[in-house]
Amino acid sequence: MDKHSIAMKRRSFLLGASGALGLAFTKTAWAQTSSGSGGTLRVAVTKPAGDLNPHKFAGLWAAQDLMFEPLMNYGPGGEIMPCLATAWLLEDAGKTLKLTLRENVVFQDGAPFDASAVKWNFERWIGLDSSSWMNSSRLYKSLEIVDDHHVTLHFSEPPLGLLQELTYIRPVRFLSPKSVAADGAYVAPVGTGPWKQKLASESGSVFERFDAYWSEKPGFATLELKVLPDSRNRMAALRAGDIDLIGGAYVSPLTATEAQTLKSAGVDVSIKPGTTTLVLGFNHDHVAALKDPLVRKAINVGIDRAAISQVLYRGYAEVAANLFATGVPMSGTRYDVPAMDPQAARDLLEKAGWTGDGIRTKDGIPLAMEIIVSEEQIPGSRSVAEVLQSEFREIGIDLSIRSVDHASRHSDIPARKYDLAFFLTYDAPYDPFGSVVGMFLSTYDNGVDGKLFMDADNLDPLVAAAMSASEADMQSSLQKVYDWLHENAAIAPLLYVPSIWAHSERVAGFKGPATEYDLPYEHITLVG
Amino acid sequence: MISLISKRIWQSLLLLFLASVLCFSLVISAPGNVAILIAELRSPIVSKEDIAKVAEEIGLNKPLPLRYVGWLGDAIQGNFGISYKTGEDVGESLEKRLSITATLIAGGAAFALMGSLFLGFVGALYAHRMPDYLARGAALISASTPSFFVGALLVYAFSVALRIFPTFGYGGPISWVLPWTTIGLLPASVLSRVVRVGLEEAMARPYVLTAMSKGLTRSQILFRDAMPNIIPTYLSALGTQVGVMVVGAVVIEPMFAWQGVGELFLTGVRFRDFMVVQACLLIFITFFIVVNLTVDVGMMLTDPKLRRQRS
Repeated sequence: MDKHSIAMKRRSFLLGASGALGLAFTKTAWAQTSSGSGGTLRVAVTKPAGDLNPHKFAGLWAAQDLMFEPLMNYGPGGEIMPCLATAWLLEDAGKTLKLTLRENVVFQDGAPFDASAVKWNFERWIGLDSSSWMNSSRLYKSLEIVDDHHVTLHFSEPPLGLLQELTYIRPVRFLSPKSVAADGAYVAPVGTGPWKQKLASESGSVFERFDAYWSEKPGFATLELKVLPDSRNRMAALRAGDIDLIGGAYVSPLTATEAQTLKSAGVDVSIKPGTTTLVLGFNHDHVAALKDPLVRKAINVGIDRAAISQVLYRGYAEVAANLFATGVPMSGTRYDVPAMDPQAARDLLEKAGWTGDGIRTKDGIPLAMEIIVSEEQIPGSRSVAEVLQSEFREIGIDLSIRSVDHASRHSDIPARKYDLAFFLTYDAPYDPFGSVVGMFLSTYDNGVDGKLFMDADNLDPLVAAAMSASEADMQSSLQKVYDWLHENAAIAPLLYVPSIWAHSERVAGFKGPATEYDLPYEHITLVG
Repeated sequence: MISLISKRIWQSLLLLFLASVLCFSLVISAPGNVAILIAELRSPIVSKEDIAKVAEEIGLNKPLPLRYVGWLGDAIQGNFGISYKTGEDVGESLEKRLSITATLIAGGAAFALMGSLFLGFVGALYAHRMPDYLARGAALISASTPSFFVGALLVYAFSVALRIFPTFGYGGPISWVLPWTTIGLLPASVLSRVVRVGLEEAMARPYVLTAMSKGLTRSQILFRDAMPNIIPTYLSALGTQVGVMVVGAVVIEPMFAWQGVGELFLTGVRFRDFMVVQACLLIFITFFIVVNLTVDVGMMLTDPKLRRQRS
């Protein structure tokens, strides 16, 4: 054996050994990173949990929902269910709310949940300017402690949707009065919920089960929120087993295309009808042609909703004719979804006086309008706008598309600098009142969310009547609003946005949440 | 030499100032009103009065030159202001995140350095033979593939299919491998061509013939004689590529859920968080200028001709 061959052998051995060592290192390290997940549900979120003060509006909904509980829960189909209040009674035509509080409930720091804790919490938000968008806050008069487990709330007028408001995540949920600084400043997130925060950083949060929780405890010991801003990475992490749960509109959104990709890769995907509606809004203040109901009707019948459902949601979204899906309480009588009929649309435009071949004109003015789209608001909306552009051209309307980012949309929508735009209704538990009042009542400042349609003379009285209707007349009053919108083609509901979630094979018993603001961990058990 | 370096430092400072003015102008001229976004954080429904109040609070109503001078004065003292979105001190956020981005760029640069030298030498050593063609092909494919796609492929192959590396996180060396490879692959490919072409040119010089006549092997000549001749060119190209990696960090950090400066910058841009965007841009520009300055000095040290010419 010559010297050279010995050198070669030594080199080969070293190469082989280092390779084997490298592989062993990677396997061991990998085992270390993935071990210890037994009993831990890992959920992907798009951003850090942030400031979880339940009386502020900055934190991640899902994280707040884990720790803080309301008086009532919003159940499937809008059913109001007991939580920290076991019973309630509306008296004095809705101006008085008598609450019976749950006994033997403690905050995670040991402080008792009682009438004084309720009063202390209410005083941190009710009646303040920052909460004036809620009827309960705007119309609040006083709170009276009857005894340790009974409180009575008084309002100047009956607040519309009061019980629904008390199910919101913020600012109505309960923080431990013991957890704040001497001056009352918020210090740490301490609630009565089944999870307490153990760690929080920019890369995620860790929650551990609260053993003194008053109700059924979660089926696993730890819940981790992992910040994964990139949707492709979230999907890969789920497939690789690094994450157990993704989805939801506000947790870690999953598009229908992504859901389909995961489904075809064998991942468990849950797609259910949601409670948000995608609506095309008309700004008749900006385009005179849109003042004419015939033009709006023409647009309504000139749209192929099934194609939009296909483009945005791979056909998973149900096409819409109503403002609200059936999952929203008091969503009203169902209307027939208009089938796309270009000839009918052209006839309507002719009737409205818009004539000619190609792009129609009236008094020498072409029928042209612009749609504003933000991919950040609705991923894929640019493609939908392109579908509309081609369909509008078919009936003689020139539609141009202006793509903007989130911040620009937030400037242009309240300033009403658009002709057409996509809107999303507020979703449960805020609807139907949130969207009906916020998006249609012209006297109500709806901020950056803007208005879907305004008609001070005809629509406002109907909305006002619905707002002041008694519980018994509420449904019929809202129906009048829906009917007016439908008969005047004031809006073009396109589809009901589905609720999409995907989970790993470790997750058993998954059930979709009642609202997209909740984190659906309750029914989950971990296997393997 | 020292006077040359001090001259370059002054030029760099001037460049930094001009770049900060340009960045400030671009950031404030972007459409959208940050006051609306901030007001939205305070209450879900915001009125026009709320927006006006926020605009007044954060000084959006002040004249632009005043806003710029105020920001620059604070930044020089290390005070980058408060994030409009999170309310956190931007300087503290940057401090926490700088080491993450530095790890990404340093690892990517090391990968690019080793990868490019390996591919370049293989190509030069086996010029116009199969290993050369393979190295060239690999470099061409890698150089033409965008980083986000490379990252997705690597994650799919090594995390989803083989389960060797984690899909995300900054949890130690094992989790650094894929981000380093993703960010370093493109520069490695570009630089390998610099090495390969440089070595080929150097191997055509007369001193190579002399070395061969002395009985040295091709590999010995490549390492000992040709390599030192391509160092200045290589350093210049490496400097440019490392500077460009900052852009890569903006894409790659969110992809692997690394909470670095690139990710902070991206979040800042989306939210119109001027304080964050300005501070990040200033960091990026400073980094770029420092890298170029280092490369210039390095080139002067390694190339006697350049040193004489400049002095």
